[in-house]
Amino acid sequence: MVDYTPIVMPPSTRELSRKAAIVGIGETDYGADYQAQRAKAEGYEGPTVESLATRAFERALADSGLDRSDIDGLTCSFTYGGPEPRELASMLGLSPRLCRSNGTIMAGPLPVACEAIARGEADCIAMVYAVATRSIGRVFGGTGPGTLYVGPKTYYYFHPWGWSGQAAHWAMICSHYQAKYGVREEELGAVAQQVRLHASRNPNAVMQKPFTIEEYMASRYIVRPLHLLDICLVNDGAVCLIVRRADLARGMAHVPVDVAGWGEAKLTSNKFDVLIRQQLRPQIEEAGRQAFSMAGVNQDNIGHFEGYDAASFHLINQIEGYGFVRQGDGVGFCLAGEMDLGGRLPTNTEGGNLSCSYMHGWSQVAETVRQLRGEAGERQVAGLEFAMTSLAQTNSAHPMILARGEAA
Amino acid sequence: MTVTRPERVRGPLDDAFWDFCARGELHIQKCGECAGFTWPVEQACEHCGSRALQWERMSGEGRLVSWCAVHQDYYRGLLPLPYDCILVELEEGVLFVSNPHGFGYDDMSLGMALRLAFIDCRDPAGDKFRLPVFEKV
Repeated sequence: MVDYTPIVMPPSTRELSRKAAIVGIGETDYGADYQAQRAKAEGYEGPTVESLATRAFERALADSGLDRSDIDGLTCSFTYGGPEPRELASMLGLSPRLCRSNGTIMAGPLPVACEAIARGEADCIAMVYAVATRSIGRVFGGTGPGTLYVGPKTYYYFHPWGWSGQAAHWAMICSHYQAKYGVREEELGAVAQQVRLHASRNPNAVMQKPFTIEEYMASRYIVRPLHLLDICLVNDGAVCLIVRRADLARGMAHVPVDVAGWGEAKLTSNKFDVLIRQQLRPQIEEAGRQAFSMAGVNQDNIGHFEGYDAASFHLINQIEGYGFVRQGDGVGFCLAGEMDLGGRLPTNTEGGNLSCSYMHGWSQVAETVRQLRGEAGERQVAGLEFAMTSLAQTNSAHPMILARGEAA
Repeated sequence: MTVTRPERVRGPLDDAFWDFCARGELHIQKCGECAGFTWPVEQACEHCGSRALQWERMSGEGRLVSWCAVHQDYYRGLLPLPYDCILVELEEGVLFVSNPHGFGYDDMSLGMALRLAFIDCRDPAGDKFRLPVFEKV
């Protein structure tokens, strides 16, 4: 069950900017695990939250070049449940002084860890996120055990009219936009196509084969106008980020990636007006303003964007809402190649939730770290100093700005 | 003809909404303090938090704001696929998720005028209710 209990976001103040840096990243084998899960060869045993978390942690630790004894903090973010933090610490062979759960999706856990470091609660925190979404058979939308009275009211209140689930939300947002700005379905296809093209350069992505607009149009609808190829994956995986006090993060195995800014804005009322007519703009714009101000940068400084593509079209809401492009121009921006490598704002370069992995915003952060380090291989964005990540849902927005730190 | 629809959220206030529907009327909660409408049903005003909510009857006139067609079988065979959902702005300003009645996906346009109607339904437990839907004017 999704824990919707909000975590308390630290304030977006300049004092907390760049006080901590990401020094290690670890991810599981999204593509290979997905294939194995689908093939279910004889003797196949599905992953568990514990097995996934352990793999991601070991990789992040190796990536950081640190010893276990350097890790004095552990936080757990298990969207669909998992071991208690102390249990996980003992499994991983850690004895951290800070050890606690830390939200679920990437809507605050990283700022919370940065604040804990700034307060002196720990110097080096391993943040672990893991979900076995596919293996536990989680379903999205419709009715069934545990689907009534859970989560935002719009996810279940309109069952009698057959309207529920995230895809129906995005379809309704998208349809209004199409009618208002005159965007054709073939043009919308460019967004999912662009993200898949990025994924084709990522050997760890679940879906790597590029598709044509004809193939897009021929793919089945989930909720029209959105096709199967517009909707995010459901897969198992884990991400571990190792975050260290900024002054201790220099001279390490990789260039540190500083957490420079974050923001948070939540919807309080008029949900459908904000969602459909305003295309989520009020909350995205406000949260973005906080993050830019905290980091001391603006849109022109951001060279790479990692948004929350639960549905393809949601990326358009985000790049417009954060002010990278005018409202109504987002699809044209994508069609012009501006979200590709070499474009104005390469977006979801690992393949996002649509084609790489659905890790509730965590894999987007790992990719941003690779990009800012300059270690993204053939999908590297050139000359990057600042990047923005965004977790945006139907009723909140949580952007972050990450910065390439000083190597020594 | 009575059609089967997925389960409704139930509770004293929700049931009051459905009781109005059973009489062929659409009522939405209106705040006695800030005059804002709250939908779906809540204990307190979504705008100002006041508990002075009272039912207000809607005229039934509306305009189309958005639409979609559900192709995925979210309700495991309960609803014939595909089916259309619409978002209607009621004359009073409330945005209301509903279904079109007598017209379909290819016949929709932004701002088209709509009028309230009711269809006879039963929920999976067999309880009958009337569902507010919208027709073309």
